[in-house]
Amino acid sequence: MAQRKSSGAKGSPPPILLAGLGVQYDLRLSKKRKLRDTVLRDGRHSKTGKFWALRDVDFRVEAGESVAVIGPNGAGKSTMLQVLAGILEPSVGKVEVRGKIATLLQLGAGFDPELNARENTLLVGEFLGVPHNEMVRRVPAILEFAGLGEFADAEVRTYSSGMRARLGFSVATSVEPDVLLLDEVLSTGDAAFIEKSRSRILELMKRARAIVFVTHDLDSAASFCTRAIELEGGRIVADGPAKRVISAYKKKMAKRSATALRSGQAARRGN
Amino acid sequence: MTTHSTDLTVGRPRRGSIGSIFETVAALIERRRLVWYLTISEVRNKGTNSLLGNVWWFLDPALQLFVYFLLVNVLFHRSQPAILLFLGSAILPWKWFTTALTTGVTAVRGREQVMRQIAFPHIVLPAASVLASVGNFLFALVPLGALYLIYPDRLTPWALAVFPVAIVQFLWTIPAVITLSALAVFFRDISNFIPHGLRIWFYLSPALFPIETLRAIGERHPWFGVLVNANPFTWIFTGYRDALYNGRAPDWVPLGILALASIPAILLSIYFFRRVSPLFVKVL
Repeated sequence: MAQRKSSGAKGSPPPILLAGLGVQYDLRLSKKRKLRDTVLRDGRHSKTGKFWALRDVDFRVEAGESVAVIGPNGAGKSTMLQVLAGILEPSVGKVEVRGKIATLLQLGAGFDPELNARENTLLVGEFLGVPHNEMVRRVPAILEFAGLGEFADAEVRTYSSGMRARLGFSVATSVEPDVLLLDEVLSTGDAAFIEKSRSRILELMKRARAIVFVTHDLDSAASFCTRAIELEGGRIVADGPAKRVISAYKKKMAKRSATALRSGQAARRGN
Repeated sequence: MTTHSTDLTVGRPRRGSIGSIFETVAALIERRRLVWYLTISEVRNKGTNSLLGNVWWFLDPALQLFVYFLLVNVLFHRSQPAILLFLGSAILPWKWFTTALTTGVTAVRGREQVMRQIAFPHIVLPAASVLASVGNFLFALVPLGALYLIYPDRLTPWALAVFPVAIVQFLWTIPAVITLSALAVFFRDISNFIPHGLRIWFYLSPALFPIETLRAIGERHPWFGVLVNANPFTWIFTGYRDALYNGRAPDWVPLGILALASIPAILLSIYFFRRVSPLFVKVL
């Protein structure tokens, strides 16, 4: 197969492709074979205690796009990122992600509290599957960016949560990804570090072929992203240019909270 | 401008049974450095945060030996020549096995966080746990070796045969830990059951008494004799005892059969692990 350069050349496969994707959770953990049997059944909660976190998701991200994923809590946003990262396997349908992936989910995963910053950087690098030599080369830059000072040689167990998050962020963003998956990490540490991390993310966004950004921060989503999809109940309910989808979503939410408020007041008055 | 790769990183098609075993083993080899890091960190963590630190590696087996010595020698008045060596040659390897199982139960379950954040082959977790448990055995060799200061005439070149016997034990520890680490994700009760199950197993094995005691019962109740022969630790303990205590060659035939039989067990456990591992993140 011919290796083409990026920029959405026609015919080259897209960096991200989800087709007919469904992720089902079994609330009583049963056998896998049974999971497939219930595919045709409707409803998010079926009678057998199963639950579709994502359902019938068709989603294609072309090179150069950055997509915000918005929606209320429990809509399936994080599940979607986990599927894209290869952490969760879909119960049905197809997922294809091409190229190097960087995931910024929660920070500091994989750290061993008894190891120091350097050792933890190497450990997480191994979890991520980064070749050892490459990781060794990156260590100084990672430690520098995290700004740990004399704590770099101390065990991570002695770190404050901010320091831990900073180190986690530095490790996670040290790769040069083709596909960047973000889950609300822009608010890490103190004000100075937030600024620093923001520019690092923007830099990564410039280089990555495709970005998927899960957030509740609608304003930053509107400014960062070219496209937005709205998830609700595990399904995509809106898909389009970021500004349009986000403003429609804002209006919908405002209306919803107004009705909720009204019915709440009514209920209280009724008591 | 960097050229971007278009290799598929997520969404490779699922393989059949042989393929998935092969794939899992390949992943283990590819991630050997991760396995090693996890092993080292598990070994290191044992010593930290306690006053005596790494001394516990030696003290633990020594104290356990002492407890059983009190029980058998003082309370039960069982006289056996070179009693400490007799007990130690079985108790210390057994301690390795129990530690491997009890820590193996949490090998996957305890790594919930990183499993939710990073995609990596989960098999590295039980693999590291098994390897870390070997440390137990190696450190226990020190108090065991010290016993020869008390019984110098028991030391023969056959003592070196502990290593092949230990390999047989290791080969059976692998499938046991892999299977338990996966099951424990779904059934938390396993960690409650394991200590009791292990204790029963221990008393049905020739550890605190010679094999002849069990054989005598087996003669009266044939089913018990079958049980004794089917128990891998009958042969493993006897092997250790031949090497360390009796100063003679272990009986290689049953040990060889055990070693061969471990291969399908290991492959099966890997297959089982691979099949259920996609569920880990969902259940945890």
